[in-house]
Amino acid sequence: MKPLSPKPHLRPLTCGVLLLALAACSDSEQPSPESQGAANALDPSLEIPDPDDPVTNVEVVEERSEEVANRLLTFSDKLRRRDFTAAAEWLSESFHGHAFAPLEVAEERVDHLGLRHVRYDVETRTVTPGAGFLASLADAIGPWSAVESALWKVKGAEFQKGRRARWGKIKLYVHMTGISAEGDRTSLAGWGYARVEKESGAWMLTRFQLTSLDQSSRPGTVFTDVSAAAGVGHVGGRFGRGEGNDSYAWNGAASADVDGDGFWDVFLPSDGRNFLYMGRADGRFDEQARERGVLAPDAGTGAVFFDFDNDGDQDLAVGQIGWRAADGKLEGRTPLLYVNDGKGSFTENGAALGLSEPFVAYSLTVLDYDADGFLDLFLCSYGRIEAEHNNSWIQATNGSPNALLRNEDGKRFVDVAEQAGVRGTSWSYAAAAADIDRDGDVDLYVANDYGDNELFLGSPEGRFTEAAASLGVVDHGNGMGVAWGDLSNDGRVDLYVSNMSSTAGNRILGRLDADIGGETFKQLKKLAAGNSIFLANEKGGFEVLPSSAGGINASWAWSVALADFDLDGRLDAFCTNGFVTGDQPFDT
Amino acid sequence: MVASSAQKSQTEKFTAQEVGETDYLHHHRAQLFKDGFSFSGNERDKLWFNRGDGTFCDVSDLSGSDSPNDGRAVLATDFDDDGDVDLFVHELQRERHALYRNDLNQRYGGFLKLRLKATKSQWEAIGATVVVHTPAGPVAQVTSRGAGFSSCQAPELVFGLADAEDAKVEVHWPSGASETFGPLARGGRFLLEEASGEAQPIAGKPRRLPDPLPKGLRLGIGEKVPPFLAFDAGSEARRVDLAELSGGKPVYLNFWAKYCGPCVQELPYLEQLDEAGEVRVVAVCMDAPNDLELAAEVFRGRGADFPNYYLGAEASDTVQGVALQTIVDLERLPIPTTLVLDGEGKIVQIVRGPVEKALQKDGE
Repeated sequence: MKPLSPKPHLRPLTCGVLLLALAACSDSEQPSPESQGAANALDPSLEIPDPDDPVTNVEVVEERSEEVANRLLTFSDKLRRRDFTAAAEWLSESFHGHAFAPLEVAEERVDHLGLRHVRYDVETRTVTPGAGFLASLADAIGPWSAVESALWKVKGAEFQKGRRARWGKIKLYVHMTGISAEGDRTSLAGWGYARVEKESGAWMLTRFQLTSLDQSSRPGTVFTDVSAAAGVGHVGGRFGRGEGNDSYAWNGAASADVDGDGFWDVFLPSDGRNFLYMGRADGRFDEQARERGVLAPDAGTGAVFFDFDNDGDQDLAVGQIGWRAADGKLEGRTPLLYVNDGKGSFTENGAALGLSEPFVAYSLTVLDYDADGFLDLFLCSYGRIEAEHNNSWIQATNGSPNALLRNEDGKRFVDVAEQAGVRGTSWSYAAAAADIDRDGDVDLYVANDYGDNELFLGSPEGRFTEAAASLGVVDHGNGMGVAWGDLSNDGRVDLYVSNMSSTAGNRILGRLDADIGGETFKQLKKLAAGNSIFLANEKGGFEVLPSSAGGINASWAWSVALADFDLDGRLDAFCTNGFVTGDQPFDT
Repeated sequence: MVASSAQKSQTEKFTAQEVGETDYLHHHRAQLFKDGFSFSGNERDKLWFNRGDGTFCDVSDLSGSDSPNDGRAVLATDFDDDGDVDLFVHELQRERHALYRNDLNQRYGGFLKLRLKATKSQWEAIGATVVVHTPAGPVAQVTSRGAGFSSCQAPELVFGLADAEDAKVEVHWPSGASETFGPLARGGRFLLEEASGEAQPIAGKPRRLPDPLPKGLRLGIGEKVPPFLAFDAGSEARRVDLAELSGGKPVYLNFWAKYCGPCVQELPYLEQLDEAGEVRVVAVCMDAPNDLELAAEVFRGRGADFPNYYLGAEASDTVQGVALQTIVDLERLPIPTTLVLDGEGKIVQIVRGPVEKALQKDGE
C-alpha cells in the first residue's frame, strides 16, 4: 500500500494521559489548594501506621479483608478497562498516594530468553492526590495497546478496633500485564500498603504507599493461541449454570495418533459430551467424537490412550464420576474402555471386560505393574465431596479407595489394589509412573489432597512398598498433580508436585501464627505453600529444591508438564492454575 | 469464607437448616458460581524456564499461554511436528479448549524426537527412562501415559540439543535392560527398538499450526463490516453504515482511545488522509462511555474532524444495527487498529499500530 498523501507534519505529541490528568485536575471535586498543601505536609514516605488497637478475631478480620478485596477487584476491573473516571470512585476525596510514574530505574538486567527486568527506585516516588495518582497509573500502562490483566490483591490486613474507627491497613500486591500493538508483552508487579476507611458504607482508599515496583518485558511471545484458527476453539456454557459444564475438577485430556495417519489426535472427556479432535495434514483439527464413537456418555473425568489388547493400536480408557455412599459402597458410573478398530473408530466394551463396578476416578495412569506384558490401569479416587466432607484438612482418610485394575491378557480387568498394596483411602487426585530406581519394575507416585502424598516402589512380585517418607517426598499438602523429569541435568529423574494454595488461605494462616504453634502450624503453613520440586540425589533419595530457586509459585495449581520448550537442553515447567473464574470481579 | 461470600448471593438465600448441615458449604459454593462469583479465580497458568543454574525464570506474564480460564489437563506435545513442544489445555471455565503454538521454534537450540518400542516388555515401553546427553548435561525424560493431572501425553519425547549437532542417547527399558543409541543427528526423528542397537529414522510430517485470527477481531480479511450501532458525541445512538458514509471510496475504520498515546498522536495524520479525499476515515473511540466528553475534547483538540463514534449501551429501540461486539472484542482489541475496507465495505487489510508507520513500511 502506497502513502495516499504526503507525510503530514505532526505537531508535538500531546499525550492522552496528560490530557486526562489535566482534565481530571480541573474537576471541581478534586482536592482544594488547601488539601494539596496538606499533601505537601505529608511524610513523603507515606508510611501508614499499624492500627494501635487491632481487631484480633480472625473471622472478623477475614470478613473485612474479603470486603476490601472485592472492592479492590472491582477497582482492578475498572483499571483493566482503563475506565479511570469510574476508578476514581474508589478513592476518597482525601486520598493521597505514591505515583506509579515517573520513577527512576534502580536496576536493569537481562534474563533467560532475553527477558528484560527493570526494578524501579521507589525512593524517587512522588506524593499525589487522586487525579494525579490515576493519571500516573494511566501513564504507566499507556504504551500498552491492550491491558491483558489488572489485579490488586489483598495479601494481608489489620483493622482498627471500635465501632467508629472503621479503618484498616492493607498489604497489597499489584499486578498488571499488557500487550503492545506489535504483540510485545510487558508486566508490572509491585507491593504496597493502603489505608482504607469506611465512608458511607463502602471501603475507600485514603492512602497508598508504594514499596516496590518491577517491570518485565520481552519482544514477541513464547506461545500464540491458535485455538480458533486450528478448529479447536470450543467455548461452552458458563461453569455452574447447569449448561453442561458443571464439573469442578475433571476436564482431562489425552493425545495419541488413533488412526495411524502420523498426526497427533486429542481426546477431551467432559461433562455433557466428549470431544475427539483429529489432526490434519494442514495443521488444523476436525472434531469427530460422534463419528468415531466416543461422544457419549457424559461425566468423563480423565482419559488415557494405551494398547490394552496388544493389537498395535491405541485404545481409550475414560474415567467417569462415581461416588461412595454413606454405607461405604461404591456407586455411580463405571470406567469405560473404548476399543480401537485399528482405523480410529471405537466401540465401548468396558462391561464385557470386567469394568462393571463404579469408581470415583479423577485420573488414570497406565503401567505394567506385574510385568506380564499387558498394561494395567491405576485409578486415582477422590471423594464425592458433594455428599461427604474430608474428615481432616491435613490427613484425610475417608476418600474413596484407589483402584489398580490388572489387565488379564487383554481379556478382563480385575481390581487388585488391596493385594498390590495401593488401596489407599486418601483423597487422591493424580499419579505418575516411572522406574525411578531403574530396577526393572515400575514405581508410582500418588498426589493426595488434604494430606501426605505416597511413593509406591514396585517389586518383581507386583507388590508395592510405600516409601515417600524414607525417600523424602511426602510433600504434605493439597496435592493436585505430579510429573517425573530431570530438572537438574544430572541424568536422574526428579519429581514435580503441584499443590493448591490460596490468597485467602495464606492471609488467614498469616494471622494464626501467634495462636498455633509447633508442628500443627508448620503443617498448616505447608498446606498453603504451593508447588514442590524434589531433586533426585545420588543416594537414591530426593531433596526439596528451596523455594528461593523459583519454579513453584502458582496458586490453585492443577496439572504440570515438564518439557524443553526452548530446546536449550533443560526441562522447563508449565502448570495449569486457578479454581473458578466467574464473570464478576468478586472472588473468595 | 465461602459462606460469607455466598451470603451475598443475588439469586437465592438458604440456611443450613433448610439444606442440611452437610450440604451447606457446597450449596453455597454452587450458588456462588451460579451468581458469577470467582473462587481463587483469575489465577493464570504458569510457565517457568530452567536457567540451568538451579533456578527457574518465571515467564508466565510474557508467555502468551497465561490463560485465566481455570486450566485443568495439559498436553505438551509437538502437534505440528516442527521440532518444538506446543501446548493443549483443557480449561474449566466455559469448557474452553486452548491450543498454543510454540513460536520460539529453534531459536535457542535444535531438537531430537524419539519414540520407543520395547521387545522384552509391553511394546509401548511405559515407564522407560530416556537420557540424552546435551551440552547442558544429561537430561532424563520418562515415557508416561497419565501424569500431571488427568493428562495423557502423546507417546513421543522431544529433547532440546542447544547448539549440539548430535547427541548420544541412553534408554533404560521397563525390562530393566539399558541400551545406548547414536550419536543421533540434530533435527532427527527416530524409533528406538529395544535390543536392536539401531535407531530407525522416522519420516517427519512438519506443518505449521495455523496463524491465529487477528486478536480482538471477529471479522477477517474478505469479510464485510455490517452497519453497526454506535453513539455520537451527544450520546445519541447512531446506525453507522460505512457504505453510506464512504460513497464508494475505500474506508479506514480506526479504533482509538484517548488513553492510548499512539492513537492520539496519529489523529492529525488521519485527518489529513480524510481531507485528501482518496479515502474516508471513520473512527470508533474505545474509551468507557463515562469518558465520552473527555475523549471528544481530545479528538477535537487534535484537530480531527472526520466521523467519530463512541461506545454506549449495546441496544437501542429506535436504531438498527449490529452491536460493535459482533465486529470486535472490545476488551481484547489492541489499539490503534485500523481496518482498511475496499469500496464494497470488505476488509482488505488490518493495520496494527499507527497507520502512517504501516503505510511507510508498505511503501518501502
